[in-house]
Amino acid sequence: MIMESYRQKSDAELVKFSLEGDKQAFGEIVNRYQGMVARTVKGMLGDSVFSEDIGQDVFIKLYYSLSDFRGEAKLSTYIQKIAVNLTLNEIKRRKRFFSTFSQKGNNEMYEFEVADYDTEEKKEARELVGKALMSLDPKFRVIVTMRMLQGYSTKETAEILDLPLGTVLSRLSRAQEQMKEILGKL
Amino acid sequence: MRISELKLLIIRSLDIDGDPEKGLRGLEEAGVDYRFSDGFRDKVLGRIASAGNTVVREMESVRNLNNVFSRIALTGVAAIVILLISIFMVQGSLSLDSFLGLGNSYDESLVYLLTGN
Repeated sequence: MIMESYRQKSDAELVKFSLEGDKQAFGEIVNRYQGMVARTVKGMLGDSVFSEDIGQDVFIKLYYSLSDFRGEAKLSTYIQKIAVNLTLNEIKRRKRFFSTFSQKGNNEMYEFEVADYDTEEKKEARELVGKALMSLDPKFRVIVTMRMLQGYSTKETAEILDLPLGTVLSRLSRAQEQMKEILGKL
Repeated sequence: MRISELKLLIIRSLDIDGDPEKGLRGLEEAGVDYRFSDGFRDKVLGRIASAGNTVVREMESVRNLNNVFSRIALTGVAAIVILLISIFMVQGSLSLDSFLGLGNSYDESLVYLLTGN
């Protein structure tokens, strides 16, 4: 019943209540945006429990930086930026770790776990998308994730990634070429 | 959806002039959707609560450390003052020689002390 009342609140109201120490209000922000964060984090890191930890880190970072949120951009954009930054940091960390301690290839830095509830057809689809995304260069992968899994326009993608629109357009075009090659092999 | 159709959908969703939302809907229909496990919200709130306790504990230990430091500092200052007074009373001045304990020594006795001759 209480959660029901929070569901009707705007993002600005939830941020205000969260800053006043209302944990339930912050819980509603988590509920509202966890799907969006899951698509970004799991799209870029692979579908595994480790990605879930990064997802939690995104909301914890959001919680401690809520006072910096001035409401000039949408809350979803602010959360998306945190998610992208933390995920890119994790990719760099894994790359450093694997280049130091392992001879394994790029793809093996990521894990795939297909949920039990998936039908065989959905399982195949998720595996195909996951493998294709993980084969992409990370700078293309982030663009593809924003486009393909979040449905963002190139303008929105540029805003989230703090990149010039021209860079996003050229990377998207090159990512599409790379994707064609990858899918041809899968 | 067949795999070949899915591949085509992925490539088309990356068309610069295409509608990104259409591609997203198509992938969702094919079953490509990511989500966190059940209880994700509670895990996040749990970590925030435990992090809050850690912050409180850290603040308490910093406060304790400050208390200990101020006591040590006061004791140190008192010890230095007592030392200065005692040096002044014994040596009659607060010169460098007095600090080094050489205020009342003659040069010859110093040589004797250092060399034994």
